[in-house]
Amino acid sequence: MKAMTRFFRSSWGILAILLFWQLWVGLSGVNSIVLPSPMGMLRSLAADPALYLSSTAQTVALAALGLVLGVALGTGLAVLTWFSRFLAGLLTPLGIIFASVPVVALIPVLARIFGYDMRTVLAIVVIICFFPAFVFTGAGLRALPPGSADLFRVLGASTWRRLVLLALPAAVPDWAVALRLAAANSILAAMVAEFLMGTSGLGYLFASARSDFDMEKALGASAIATVISVLSFLLASRFEGWAGRNWR
Amino acid sequence: MDTQPAIAVRGVTKRFRLDDGSEFTALDDISLSLAEGEFVTLLGPSGCGKSTILRLVAALEAPSAGTVLVEGKAPAELSRQHRLGVAFQDHALLPWLDVAANIALPFRVAGQKVDEARVAALIRLVGLAGFEKARPRQLSGGMRQRVAIARALVLKPDVLLLDEPFGALDAVTRRQMNIELQRIWTEQRTTTLLVTHDVGEALFLSDRIVVLSGRPGRVVRVVDVPFARPRDPAIMRSALFHEMSDDLTEALAPPAGAP
Repeated sequence: MKAMTRFFRSSWGILAILLFWQLWVGLSGVNSIVLPSPMGMLRSLAADPALYLSSTAQTVALAALGLVLGVALGTGLAVLTWFSRFLAGLLTPLGIIFASVPVVALIPVLARIFGYDMRTVLAIVVIICFFPAFVFTGAGLRALPPGSADLFRVLGASTWRRLVLLALPAAVPDWAVALRLAAANSILAAMVAEFLMGTSGLGYLFASARSDFDMEKALGASAIATVISVLSFLLASRFEGWAGRNWR
Repeated sequence: MDTQPAIAVRGVTKRFRLDDGSEFTALDDISLSLAEGEFVTLLGPSGCGKSTILRLVAALEAPSAGTVLVEGKAPAELSRQHRLGVAFQDHALLPWLDVAANIALPFRVAGQKVDEARVAALIRLVGLAGFEKARPRQLSGGMRQRVAIARALVLKPDVLLLDEPFGALDAVTRRQMNIELQRIWTEQRTTTLLVTHDVGEALFLSDRIVVLSGRPGRVVRVVDVPFARPRDPAIMRSALFHEMSDDLTEALAPPAGAP
């Protein structure tokens, strides 16, 4: 009961909008191609759960794998730039250029390279997740507690121990911020790639439902994507809060 | 070998280049030496370059002219061998480590096995028993400085450098920390160079006080402190202490007519 009250208190705005939406569709009598109702969307979800489930599973798996690979790549390269000024000069502008090219423009190019299938979707997610990890980790490795750089010199620390005992732990809070940004974007990036390439997954489900004028199904697909994005954002926010409390 | 000083600073000048390209002399022809097991304080007004001397001995800066030798070698040699202990005004504790892990840090930096018994003994020595698992942000300013001092001592360094370690503390805590540092130091007798602008702190703690003038830093006076060790806090109320304190305060004040 208490949990219900809490849920209602924190999300009554969303519930009110859904209620208003349902009433509006019912009272105005517009058909479901113009504006599907929330109830209609739920009916569509209940009608074919297997279809939604398999599409969702594929998109989430791709987004998660892409997130892990992208963040690992970004973190790894950021550590390399920490080691060498030369690599920093080489990699930093490259990273910025790559992140500035719109994903929509990258997709056709990558599809030519990797083929019109899941590998391209994965590549897109990796690129989207790479950038925040690279930038934030790079900044975090240099955001040291006051006086600690001098301390490590006085203690005669090797470069390796300076990285492991000082720079990496100091980068954890910034790295957590990067993870939060990348986690929310990974689902979005996977869906955009699936949408544009039209092979499989939630993005494809949305695209094909839309072209069939099955707007209830299209809305169902986007509702699932929204819920997953919000959940991964909340999870990553939790981690960020924990990192901030324990590492700063 | 016996006559070789633990720390020898000979004719050191340090100039810094400012952003506008002009040069400014922080230290001018400074010479001083510390015998092994001696506690020497650099006393001077703020901005007199006393911290710069400490940074030169710690190999954090290089002199513009003159030489700095620690145990007859370049000062960087000592830190490379993990035999230097330093406590800064800025406690420089790592926020993600608890008290025990912060004190044990020098072991890990040196690639040595952490001597848990040594860490525990130091925690008791600085009066922090029961706070082993506390994080730096949960501690008061005085407690953080105790952790920093314990960390400086943990590897049993040959040389201890203290840069106004109690500068940010209130007068009461500072006095208490001085009494504790005196007790701790008496047990270890490590060669120590302390930087401070507090006359009472210098008198209570050191064997010898080197008074510096400001801009550029020059040695004005060297004063031997006669009080026998271990020192009782009561000496701070003695007539000699007050007399020397007045004398040093006067030596610190710039001559009349100076800007």
